[in-house]
Amino acid sequence: MGKGRWALRGVVMAYLGILIGLPVVFMIYKALAHGFGPFWSQITQPGAISALKLSVEIAAIAVPVNTLVGVGAAILIARHKFFGKRAFDTVFDIPVAVSPVILGVALILAYSRIGWFGAPLLRHGIMVLFSPLGLVLATMAVSLPYVLRSIVPVLLEVGTEQEDAARTLGAGRFRTFFNVTLPSIRWAVAYGVALTIARTLGEFGAVLVVSGNISGRTQTLPIYIYDDWDQRFDTLGSYSGALVLALISMAVLLVLAMLRKRERRLRVDLA
Amino acid sequence: MSISLNNLSKRYGSTHAVENVSAEITHGSLTAILGPSGSGKSTLLKLISGLEAPDEGRVIIDGDDVTDVDPRHRDIGFCFQSYAPFRHMNVAKNVGFGLKVRKRPAAEIDARVKELLALVKLDDKASRYPSQLSGGERQRMALARALAIEPRVLLLDEPFGALDAVVRQELRQWVKVLHEQIHVTTVLVTHDQQEAMEVADQLIVMSAGRVVQSGNPLALYESPATDFVHEFLGPSTVFGGVVTRPHDLELVSVYDGAMKGRITSIVSLGFEAQVTVELSDGTTTWVQLSRNELSKMGLRVALLVGVRRRTDADF
Repeated sequence: MGKGRWALRGVVMAYLGILIGLPVVFMIYKALAHGFGPFWSQITQPGAISALKLSVEIAAIAVPVNTLVGVGAAILIARHKFFGKRAFDTVFDIPVAVSPVILGVALILAYSRIGWFGAPLLRHGIMVLFSPLGLVLATMAVSLPYVLRSIVPVLLEVGTEQEDAARTLGAGRFRTFFNVTLPSIRWAVAYGVALTIARTLGEFGAVLVVSGNISGRTQTLPIYIYDDWDQRFDTLGSYSGALVLALISMAVLLVLAMLRKRERRLRVDLA
Repeated sequence: MSISLNNLSKRYGSTHAVENVSAEITHGSLTAILGPSGSGKSTLLKLISGLEAPDEGRVIIDGDDVTDVDPRHRDIGFCFQSYAPFRHMNVAKNVGFGLKVRKRPAAEIDARVKELLALVKLDDKASRYPSQLSGGERQRMALARALAIEPRVLLLDEPFGALDAVVRQELRQWVKVLHEQIHVTTVLVTHDQQEAMEVADQLIVMSAGRVVQSGNPLALYESPATDFVHEFLGPSTVFGGVVTRPHDLELVSVYDGAMKGRITSIVSLGFEAQVTVELSDGTTTWVQLSRNELSKMGLRVALLVGVRRRTDADF
């Protein structure tokens, strides 16, 4: 390896260190500075527990729904021709292209008392904003494209020949999907699901806008951490909460890395 | 089972992939659809299988109009150019797929799969996955998978295209033998005239979406209907303004009844030699000779010779 390579490597490492490494190390240090006991008592506080529970509950709804929608939409985009397909395809990228805060504001406009959907829903006693329902909607919106974007390239690469072969052998749509299509995209689906989970648990902007930040009711873990920091100056609490969130994300990232390896091997197989 | 294709047309946008094609494929035959790439031969096969629907015309299999029948109900065996193995299923599962779809009892599927794997000589590979097979083995697995459902018609898209020369040769012979054993009406698509002549008992030659000529291979070789067929089906050259086979020409030392010319090159290919001659009328032609003829006549570059049609040539 030449000098230039080493220099480049040094620059990249320093950059990552400043951006991610140091802050994370500092956060871990601060969370555990007074030992494991205080850390544990912070994260077992009722507020922290209910925030974690809410975050997990939101993920438990948003992830499966977005997975089903993502798989369906991916098949539409990769396997079918229809009018407006480009626009349809592009709509899925809006959540990652615009700021989550804007998505949150858009949801407020649509579901507030004066919004298009808000008024009729309120008449039936359904309140979307400042309720867990609103949080689920906001979270689903921001994590919408991940499953879709993971699957479409794989579907295009695998091609339609295996599906055509199944058809000539007498298989109907459902059997072809479950026995032929799904097995060939399963790692891509898993990869998309992992990304969706990470985004769902970590989402802050869109959720904050629609939540109203009601402690114990609409406070997710990221909001709880921010609240601790901002409102109560309870820094140990926010460090501890952040560490829990970071650990969950790292676990997801680890699974992701393993899936990426599987996926690569699968691609080698396809070649 | 016989196949009738009646005035089939298929367009993609403004390209006419298949244009007004009619053909009869007789029961039990092994028919090759032959043509250069882009001639519409693979599209025609897809139309027979139902994987593509024609814009016009009808597909009749064994007297039934199947034009509007979904491929899954056509009882056809289709082998894709890439073999399209189900990559996450082992060889036995691949071969048994069509029977499983048809909800046959497990014991019957097992027995039939075993029988087919013996037929395609893959008995010892039943639990392997497609990625662990060689190209030739994948091809044979694809054939067994297509044959498992006892199709009325077997359709093969460029079946030997992706294989190396030795395996190719082996598989060609094997497909011919297999066809003699099971006698299912078979249609294969190829761009390789030698392959088509060797394997098939009927040829359909296509060019630019149309059928140019069809019939048995020898008849087409001997009396091609157009210059295209002539050039496509074997070596050809122009002599006296007419497309002809270079082995139908001969070199003579006397100018009696022959066109005068000068040898410009001699290429020796083992048994066969190709002699290029610049003719007195300014054109160039080449003549195919055996090694014996070459040495007997003592031919060499720059020698003046006479070129004429062989008197025993069939015209």
